[in-house]
Amino acid sequence: MFSVSQFYILSPRGDTIISRNFRSDVDKGTAEVFFHSVKFWKGDGGNEAPPCFNIDGVNYIFIKQSGLYFVCTTKYNVSPNFALELLARLAKLFKDYCGVLSEEAIRKNFVLIYELLDEVLDYGYPMVSSTEQLKVHVHNEPVMVDMIKQANSFKMPTMNQKTTPSSSVYKPVTLAAKSGQQRNEIFVDILERLTMLFNGNGYTLSSHIDGSIVMKSYLSGNPPLRLALNEDLVVGKGSEAANYGGSVVLDDCNFHECVRLDDFESMRLLNFVPPDGEFVLMNYRITSDFVAPFRIYPHVEENSSTQIEIVVKIRADLPQNNFGVNVQATMPVPTRSNGVSSRLDSGAAAAGQTAEYRAKDHKVVWTIKKFQGGAEHTLRAKVDLKEPMSPAIRREIGPISLSFEIPMFNASQLQVKYLRIVEQHRTYNPHRWVRYVSQSASYVSRFSTN
Amino acid sequence: MMMMSLAGLRKGGGDSKYFSTTKKGEMHELKEELNDQKADRRKEAVKKVIAAMTVGKDVSQLFPDMLNCMQTANVELKKLVYLYLINYAKSAPDVAILAVNCFRRDANDQNPLIRALAIRTMGCIRVEKITEYLCDPLRRSLSDDDPYVRKTAAICVAKLYDINPELAEEQGFLELLHDLISDSNPTVVANAVAALSEIASFSVDGSKVFAVSGSVLSKLLAALAECSEWSQVFILDALATYQPSSAREAESIVERVSPRLQHSNSAVVMSAVKIIVKYVDLIESQETVKSLTRKLSPPLVTLLSAEPEIQYVALRNINLIVQKRPSILANDVRVFFCRYTDPIYVKMEKLQILVKLATDRNAEQVLLELKEYATEIDIDFVKSSVRAIGRVAIKLERSAERCINVLLDLIKTKVNYVVQEAIIVISYIFRRFPNRYESIIATLCENLETLDEPEAKAAMIWIVGEYAERIDNADELLETFMDAFQDETADVQLQLLTATVKLFLKRPDGAKEIMESVLSMATESSDNPDLRDRGYIYWRLLSTDPEAAKRVVLSDKPVIVDDSSQLEPALLDLLVENIATLASIYHKPPSAFVKRTRIPLGSGMRDDDDDDVGLESSDDDDDDDDSDDSDDEGRGKKKKQQQQDDSEDLLGFGGLSVSGGNGGGSGSDDLLGGFDAPSMGAPASSAPLTSRLSPAAAEGLQLDADFARRNGSIYLDLDFSNVSSQTPFGKFAIQFNKNTFALAPSSVNVDLGTSLMQGGPKSRFSVPIVTRPEMAQPGVAPNLVIDVALKNVAVGAINYFKVTLPFYVLFTEQGRADKKGFIDSWKTLGDAKGQAATLRGLVSTQMDAVVSLLEQHNIFHIATRNPAADQRVGYFSSKTTTGAMVLAEITFKDGHDACKVNLRCEVSQVLPFAHEAFQRLLVK
Repeated sequence: MFSVSQFYILSPRGDTIISRNFRSDVDKGTAEVFFHSVKFWKGDGGNEAPPCFNIDGVNYIFIKQSGLYFVCTTKYNVSPNFALELLARLAKLFKDYCGVLSEEAIRKNFVLIYELLDEVLDYGYPMVSSTEQLKVHVHNEPVMVDMIKQANSFKMPTMNQKTTPSSSVYKPVTLAAKSGQQRNEIFVDILERLTMLFNGNGYTLSSHIDGSIVMKSYLSGNPPLRLALNEDLVVGKGSEAANYGGSVVLDDCNFHECVRLDDFESMRLLNFVPPDGEFVLMNYRITSDFVAPFRIYPHVEENSSTQIEIVVKIRADLPQNNFGVNVQATMPVPTRSNGVSSRLDSGAAAAGQTAEYRAKDHKVVWTIKKFQGGAEHTLRAKVDLKEPMSPAIRREIGPISLSFEIPMFNASQLQVKYLRIVEQHRTYNPHRWVRYVSQSASYVSRFSTN
Repeated sequence: MMMMSLAGLRKGGGDSKYFSTTKKGEMHELKEELNDQKADRRKEAVKKVIAAMTVGKDVSQLFPDMLNCMQTANVELKKLVYLYLINYAKSAPDVAILAVNCFRRDANDQNPLIRALAIRTMGCIRVEKITEYLCDPLRRSLSDDDPYVRKTAAICVAKLYDINPELAEEQGFLELLHDLISDSNPTVVANAVAALSEIASFSVDGSKVFAVSGSVLSKLLAALAECSEWSQVFILDALATYQPSSAREAESIVERVSPRLQHSNSAVVMSAVKIIVKYVDLIESQETVKSLTRKLSPPLVTLLSAEPEIQYVALRNINLIVQKRPSILANDVRVFFCRYTDPIYVKMEKLQILVKLATDRNAEQVLLELKEYATEIDIDFVKSSVRAIGRVAIKLERSAERCINVLLDLIKTKVNYVVQEAIIVISYIFRRFPNRYESIIATLCENLETLDEPEAKAAMIWIVGEYAERIDNADELLETFMDAFQDETADVQLQLLTATVKLFLKRPDGAKEIMESVLSMATESSDNPDLRDRGYIYWRLLSTDPEAAKRVVLSDKPVIVDDSSQLEPALLDLLVENIATLASIYHKPPSAFVKRTRIPLGSGMRDDDDDDVGLESSDDDDDDDDSDDSDDEGRGKKKKQQQQDDSEDLLGFGGLSVSGGNGGGSGSDDLLGGFDAPSMGAPASSAPLTSRLSPAAAEGLQLDADFARRNGSIYLDLDFSNVSSQTPFGKFAIQFNKNTFALAPSSVNVDLGTSLMQGGPKSRFSVPIVTRPEMAQPGVAPNLVIDVALKNVAVGAINYFKVTLPFYVLFTEQGRADKKGFIDSWKTLGDAKGQAATLRGLVSTQMDAVVSLLEQHNIFHIATRNPAADQRVGYFSSKTTTGAMVLAEITFKDGHDACKVNLRCEVSQVLPFAHEAFQRLLVK
């Protein structure tokens, strides 16, 4: 059984923005039930509602994007993956068609949204969900919303303006189709999210990369493309080839359904006809060793029985010409403290560094706007304790989590060697924007426990 | 092309402008605009109407004007009007019919998109008259040249079936859908599969409607490789229902399915995982099994890099998979380490899996992780982490010491809730490994004062009692709790009581005083019965035989295991079957939360809140299983029986026991008779019984008698009265002749306990009935008549009478079938094992009344459906003491004082009796 009964979009305050009933077998009023349950969730897993739950025989499945709740309901034992993927796909479609995903954009485009919904879901069954195929069926035109204001709702919310190639990523696909001269461009993002965990001595406890190649195509005529990856790419850790050094070893990867893999095994080539709009060409996962872009060395000194000094040194193990932007280190400090005074390197303030003690959250937040490769920065935070140092207080320090973004750098060394249009005409010369971005997913260093 | 003509629209301020009209006379204005000459203005007006509709305004009065706008070549406009129609057709069915012509024209349009649109929309309009007009265009669409139209039509058949299943079946749409499985277009195949799967799940004859056969299988596999992601999911799910005939076939299917593991859509991946996990069981070659399980782990791990929602779903499924096949992820324990950014629901799931995957080899690593988690901020997560350490200890004997050390480290942090949780966990470890780690008790005792949670206190007290002989100041420690004894929770009080008694038994000197005070507090000043009882037991034990007390209180305890997260094997298997469904998320069988699977609702319109319609599945699943099992058993027995007894024992009733048989003691039976459960019908003492013996023929005795069923047993209720006998009487003996159902009184003696005087009141006696194999009566045509002999001991006379057994007393309390079981059996039995009859002059024609009446007699209501507005059909199940399942379908039609009863039973000889039973119950 693969059909949903109702779909709705709720605002962060619980207002129903969009609501569509596909099978009329679930009562009205479930939106209120849903919102109330999620707001006041109390389960054995804490007070955050899991993505699927059942109340009075109605199953609710939801995701949250750009602050909005995308919810579907059903009475049947459906596949939760199916429902979650469907919701994510709808969110993506609305973004493709409206340009941005925000409450305002959806409210302004509600007729378009309903039309899309009716084309995507018939009787609660998904029919077509690709931006490209839907174009034939969708007649309403998007209403643009102010892009600057909405810019932060783009998928990579912390994205530095410098690394964002062009405002066309906020352009609805249907409008782009009509402004012919801008049309021929394709964006390729190699996006890697790093998960690292260090112990107090800087030793890596666990690390992995979740990578994806994200494309957004505005190519007219949707020509077949060929994308080449590193030839020495190895798929499958523990396979024989993985034992030879120097190559990029993927633990696992998966592909968008448009990809033909005939030449992948032999030449690491992906052949595909790009669908319109944004899509993920490939996802991959790497757990083999890679050079951590930032190393964190935390350490605690006891100045007196009621004063401690937390010293954090961060080093960027990046090539000289790369740099991290919006690097932010967050570090919990003991709750029983009177105050914290932080000291940075000399000249740090000029370089856009700040350190701030947020007394309410008992945290020190250290921000480094630009962190050049090879550089090293240190923070010294003096903490005045309300009571003498004890193991219990000691345990409240840390861990430090780091968030950052490194433009034009990917930790895995996976590369797009080329992106070609298979049958190229002389007159057809699209712009290809390839960019690499590495971001932190969960980048954490513990304090040594001794 | 169409878009160009709309250019004018874009200059406006977006759709939200349509919401701005609040003036009076709005409807009138809209009406005018809808009838405007210019197409553009009409479209603007339609949009305004739709806007008003979505915010809940009533714009139904514009129906005729909207219909006018439908006749347009403009697809956008057409779609908007269709949207309106779907919304309002129900409230204005008579006007809606006017749209039919337009729909029919559109269904023949040149443009396939318009053809499909018309079919799609008509299917969504739940108005009976329109549905009638749907059949012809729908049939044409199913063989349309354009696959887009065909795939839309396939889904439309499911819609039609939902509105009017009979019509859909009569018109042969199910066969047409079957034909689409051979379609050249894979998406059409997939949609046909989706529609058929849905219809099958709602249908009483599910497997007849759609079952994956060998030929279907090859078509599905062929389509699988070529179709879109959603279609793949439809097809994979249908494949999961297929039962491969051989290991080789299973292997070849798995080979075709396993490339789906690399799909970027997690729904495709999980559906593929489900098939592979299911089929692996069938594959014999260990080599293949090994390589398959190796294939499964990377895609599962990859799901853990997706969005947290997908991760959560994956983790819940992985939880099942590692219980079923621990080898699949045995080497991947690190991927389940929690990230600081994980939502709490993901973290909790990871903890569970970490414990499941912990082995002596990776224990150190896992414990270090868990120790870190125990210092995080979220208290729930911290507590669960500490518990997880304990579970690792109990699971892995060789790593238990490591766990203890980690827990001691945590206790040293002095963080209150960590310490308490650690102490609770340590008490479990002590219980699991007695006399091994008591050296740490001193450390634990240091924290005695900080304990404020009852569970932690109880754990600590238990430890003190258990090791009283090694704790020098055990008495002092226990004494500290005594002052507040009355304020403690029951758990703590019970532990204090037991610990004190243990202390006394181990070190009698000096503990006497404290023990006496505890015993008196427990027995004299507590109103908790558990505590009082335990106090008295100890007291008596100690005062009568202290050695016995020692043996009882200080005995070795059975070894505990950690099964807190372990599922029952049967449930686990069921859930593994249901991988990639909500059941695998909730870890509950589907029947526990799918409250109703709709039986098709008939041709009428359906209200949104028709809660009373549909199958109510029984809430308690264990019960369902039980009844299924015993049902099977019953049938099995019966078959054997039939083989043994040739045709002599036609009913196969011989040699089976009637359930219950409420003890032989006749005195107590009378008492029990008074305790009638209300559900068992009229109280035994008041219901008038049928006269069997008259005073003239029976030496002054008036005897009334009837069979009845109460509290799970059959009784023969007897009313005695002394009408004209000089001799008072009170003692009788009773005996049955051999009979079809091998019934016999549990005891020959009937002692009324009093002597009945002439003209005195009548006295009621209930004889419990049992079955005795030797009472069976082979060679005689099955019948319901029981010959009874009654000897009046005082008078010395023997009288004979006949009592007709109402068949329904043979229906047991275990006759409730679960919904699915019912549907399956109903299908399997078919008309061949069925018999129908019409009953007139009914007790009631109200379904509710009938349901409660039948339920009183163990004929259990399974579901009700309304196939037509004036028709109600109820489904019931019951089971005889002999294990024969009788399924019933009772149809009422408004305005008729009659009903149709259609019964099905494996043992066809039962049918006439069952019919008679229904007649007796339902007819006045």
